[in-house]
This record gives sequence, C-alpha cells and structure tokens, in this order.
Amino acid sequence: MKTWVKIIAGLVFIGVIAGVLVYFFIYNKPHPNYELMDAAYSVTVADFYNAYTSNKTEAGNKYNGKVIALSGKLSKVEFSDSLTICVFVFNKGMFGDEGVRCTMLPKFMELAKKFQPDGEVKLKGYCTGFNDTDVILDKCSIVKQ
Amino acid sequence: MKKLMLVFFCLSIVSFAADAQKFITKTGHIKFYSDSQLEKIEAHNRQVNAAFDAATGDFVFRVLVKSFQFEKALMQEHFNENYLESDKFPNATFLGKVTNIKDVNIGKDGVYEAMVEGKLTIHGVTQPVKEKGTFEVKGTKITGKAKFTILLADYSVKIPGAVANSISKSIEITVDLVLDKLN
Repeated sequence: MKTWVKIIAGLVFIGVIAGVLVYFFIYNKPHPNYELMDAAYSVTVADFYNAYTSNKTEAGNKYNGKVIALSGKLSKVEFSDSLTICVFVFNKGMFGDEGVRCTMLPKFMELAKKFQPDGEVKLKGYCTGFNDTDVILDKCSIVKQ
Repeated sequence: MKKLMLVFFCLSIVSFAADAQKFITKTGHIKFYSDSQLEKIEAHNRQVNAAFDAATGDFVFRVLVKSFQFEKALMQEHFNENYLESDKFPNATFLGKVTNIKDVNIGKDGVYEAMVEGKLTIHGVTQPVKEKGTFEVKGTKITGKAKFTILLADYSVKIPGAVANSISKSIEITVDLVLDKLN
C-alpha cells in the first residue's frame, strides 16, 4: 500500500474514533447523578429560606445551580401526576404556602411518601433558584443520618 | 362597638369571597419545542407557579429557567449558560389578564375559550403577548391550556453563528396548568 493511502486511512480512522468519542462523551453525555454528588453547602432549611427572602441576589449567587443538603422539620409531602414534593412552609402568600419545595428523584418517591409532617428530615438536591415565593430543589435524595 | 363589629364582619365576608375566586398551582407544566433540520429541542418544566383570579381575570405565572429538563444534558447546559443565561435571568414570568373573563363561568363545568393578554418576560426582555387558550372548569379545578410561538430574537436570545442553521429561530410554548381553588 502506498504511503499516502496509509496516511489518509489513518486520518479517517482517527476522525471516526474522535467522532464516536464526541458523540458519546460530549453530545450524549449523561445528566449528573445528583444523589452521588457531594453537597456544596449543608444548611438548615430555615437558614436557607431566610437567606433568599432577605437577599435573593446574594443567596442566588451562592446557592443556585449547586447541590445543597438541607435539614429541618418537614411541613407536608405533595403529589402531582409525576412528582413527589417535600415541602417546608414558612409563609403564606398569593400562591398559598411559601417556603422550600424539594422534588424527589423517582428512586426516593416511595420513601418520601412515608414522611410524617413535623418530622425531621435531611434531603439533598440541585437548587434551581427562588421564584419569589419558593426556593426549588430538584432531583432530591434522602440523606442517611 | 356593634357597628365596628358589623364592618369587620362585612370585610371578612368580602375577603373570603375574594379568596374563593382564586385558583393556584405550583406544579404547572410548560413545554417548549422547536424542530429544525438537524436538531429537535424539547424541554419540560413541571414546577410552574400560576395564579388566576376569577373575579378580576388577573392571571400570572412564574417559571424558574433552571427547572427546565432536557433529554440531553449538553442541551440543558447550553440552554442555561449560553442562551437563556439563567444565572443572570433566573425567572421567566407572565403577568396579564383573561380579557373575556365574563365568558368563563367558574360555577359551571365546561370548556371555555379564554383570551389572554399581558406581558411575557424571558431573558430579561418583556414583550406584549395576546393569545387564545382554553379554561376547563371541573368542580373546584380549572385547567388552563394554551399553545403559542415566540421568536428567540424578540427576547434577545442569540444563537451562535456556528449553529445558527441547525437551531430553529422560533420556539413553540405549550402551557398546561391545573389550578386548584385556594382555600
């Protein structure tokens, strides 16, 4: 085989391998596993909510987009078609109860349903921010204490 | 004293009547969808705050941009970091009114056409919006549905030149809110 043919074949091969790697590891990379991630901050639910209501910009810069571990007294567990949400209520406003809402990962939905109101819980999840009434945590898991 | 108590009682009744007209949800669903030759983009947000006052027609919803879920993690990253800049503009909001509120009878089950008019804020840019939707009354629940299209350019969402041809310049937004009577 001529040298230039070998070079072109080698380049094509490298290109195909690079394409496959980009497809699987960048374009189709999986979502982060929030259950396994370490929490950037571990705080009480009350301190966490107060941080947002006293200065939402500062709290947003600190907590939004990060994994947060929260501990505190649960107010209730809400259910919708596909969600199980652990709710910590601190206020009442135009949207009803206001506080911290933690949407559970499917794996923890059944366990969360067994939570009792006023029970102490520790949850960990991805903070998506404050919508002027509630602070939302997504992909939440139960932290063993 | 009796007069004072009577005034207080009347005010309580008025306040109760006003509250009885309010419907809310915190688990509303908004989907956005765009399709182009190379890329189909679909995302869902199932934690939409919405409130509807059936007495005045006032209607509001708020969405946390970071709560939109994509099938592909890379798309979600680009959406938050490059397009919607969710650290800078964490919320998207709609503030408006059902203009034909007299046609929506919340005391009678049925599907009513609703004309909604207001201001939609996305990416820190506010634009007037006027859309048609439906309100389905069923007992103490109202299901509000609407589907409309927005142009990304209207909200200063810039598409990088390298992918300009593979991403649609408009987004179809589907709103589906099951509102419960506020107790």
